[in-house]
Amino acid sequence: MEAARFINQIQIPKNPNRRFSRPPLDFPRIIRASSSSTSQVPLLPFAVSLSLLSSGFGGQQEPKSYRGPKPSKNLVADFVSRNDDSVRSLPIYVGGASLLAVLFNRAVSGIAPVADASSSQSRADLLALGLAVTNLLTGLVWLSIRPKTITPVEPEGVDCKVLEPNLPASILSELLWAWESIKVATCCKSLVIVYNGICLLQIGMAAKSPDANKAVLVNTDKLMTGSVYQGVFKSKAQSYLANLSLYPGRSELPFLPPNTQAVILQPLGDKGIAVIGGNTIRGFTSSDQAWISSIGEKLDATLGRCFLDSDEISQETDR
Amino acid sequence: MSIQICSFPLHPRFSLRACSQTAARSTRIFARTENESSRSDQQQLNLSVLRFTFGIPGLDESYLPRWIGYGFGSLILLNHFSASAPISESQLRSEALGLSLAAFSIALPYFGKFLKGSEVEKRSLPDEGEQVFVISSSIGDSLKEDLAWATYVLLRNTSTVAVMISIQGELCVRGYWNCPGQMPKAQLHDWFKRNVDEIGLADVKETLYFPQYAGSALSWDILPDGTRSVFVQPLVHNIDESEKMDGFLLVASTAGYAYSDKDRAWIGAMADKFRG
Repeated sequence: MEAARFINQIQIPKNPNRRFSRPPLDFPRIIRASSSSTSQVPLLPFAVSLSLLSSGFGGQQEPKSYRGPKPSKNLVADFVSRNDDSVRSLPIYVGGASLLAVLFNRAVSGIAPVADASSSQSRADLLALGLAVTNLLTGLVWLSIRPKTITPVEPEGVDCKVLEPNLPASILSELLWAWESIKVATCCKSLVIVYNGICLLQIGMAAKSPDANKAVLVNTDKLMTGSVYQGVFKSKAQSYLANLSLYPGRSELPFLPPNTQAVILQPLGDKGIAVIGGNTIRGFTSSDQAWISSIGEKLDATLGRCFLDSDEISQETDR
Repeated sequence: MSIQICSFPLHPRFSLRACSQTAARSTRIFARTENESSRSDQQQLNLSVLRFTFGIPGLDESYLPRWIGYGFGSLILLNHFSASAPISESQLRSEALGLSLAAFSIALPYFGKFLKGSEVEKRSLPDEGEQVFVISSSIGDSLKEDLAWATYVLLRNTSTVAVMISIQGELCVRGYWNCPGQMPKAQLHDWFKRNVDEIGLADVKETLYFPQYAGSALSWDILPDGTRSVFVQPLVHNIDESEKMDGFLLVASTAGYAYSDKDRAWIGAMADKFRG
């Protein structure tokens, strides 16, 4: 039973690069912008909490008020994340300016700009130059690792919410929960769940059918006999199509908006598939992929149990 | 059909199986990319086109400006004090410039941490603390299964080492915690409950995120030594359109700044699963 597997399996995977020493974050920092304040939240007077108790909140004991610090704002972190581009080029300007300043200083004090280490003045200048070059190079490294910003593309289509009727309430809430989580945490805009040959859920943006102003519904037979589904079914692994426009099997997913940028195909065990469409090229990060595969396993466990139950019931009624 | 859930009795000493496929941050589980496969990795890649050193493994290059700052700064001071008097004004000027540059270089890696695309620190297992898995016995089977799955997924997909979910006072605790060693399960559950009530975590009304939890500031003894980030998410319970806090979800990690916005969005999604 998959549920038991979840419980029995390991808790924390061992990090292959694990070192027993502490990570190198304990250099004394000149700029201290700590984010845990030591101010304590004032305790609610005990009388107040007693009175809450006596008013009887449905028989449940009112919890004690929270006694702990509130997180304080880290100004440096906020500033850097907001002004990402200018902070990246800041070391270049600082390095360049100090380079010029050193040369200017030499010129003004009438010393020949010769790079030798004979006098202490030259040594000091050389060290300052070395630091300026370090800053310049760091600035260049920061600029080179800037991630490319990709703008999301608004999907063309209509909003739809098609649910298989007669689903038990727990299944329904689980499917809707999965949609809400994926929608909030990733760039997903459309979700289709097909299980046991039935399209259980088609929600989000869908392609507009040419004749009417309605969504194109999922043709489960066509989907399940297509190469996309068969490929995922055979490999039993998640498939991430980071740039859907380059993928030839695009025509097998006609229900997605035509300008869907990225798609994740998540198999639900042996019997189903979840098609998740996103609005940004390479919009799903590796952490998103891991979360989606976990959710896929959970959905498979829940749906498998529900369909197994209904199979048993229908078998019993047949007898 | 009955569901067999064997949460009790679970021996607290789990053997750590090294799951090579689930390294903390750069998970590539089940990810098979079609077309554009190499470019999809660049979403989170730290691509250093220019390298200071030659990529020596184990040497963290992002801290190089800090070491250079310390080294050159001390050399400037050495030069200053070993120079024969009188020291000219121009030398003083260049030394002042050099020292301020050194200070700036020392601070650079700290700024660099907050830039987009910077590498996140990996978690390490805490040195002390017990690995436990406790579920309250007075909740239904399906809820137990959901809790077990949720805690498992949180431990696997984020850099969490300790997770606690509390729903209307009933706890599910998993991971490394600083609790007394040889206590039987039922007592352990009550012990955690007492400590949680002490801190008053059930009363938290908004999400709390401590990315730089220093052990002395927050004296939450139940968290293991070496915890650097803590994130608390209250669970909301909608009764008749009024929102009441129904519990909380707490995750702790041994890596600093462990929970990015995306991680926190996913943790919030997991908390929604237990919404009344």
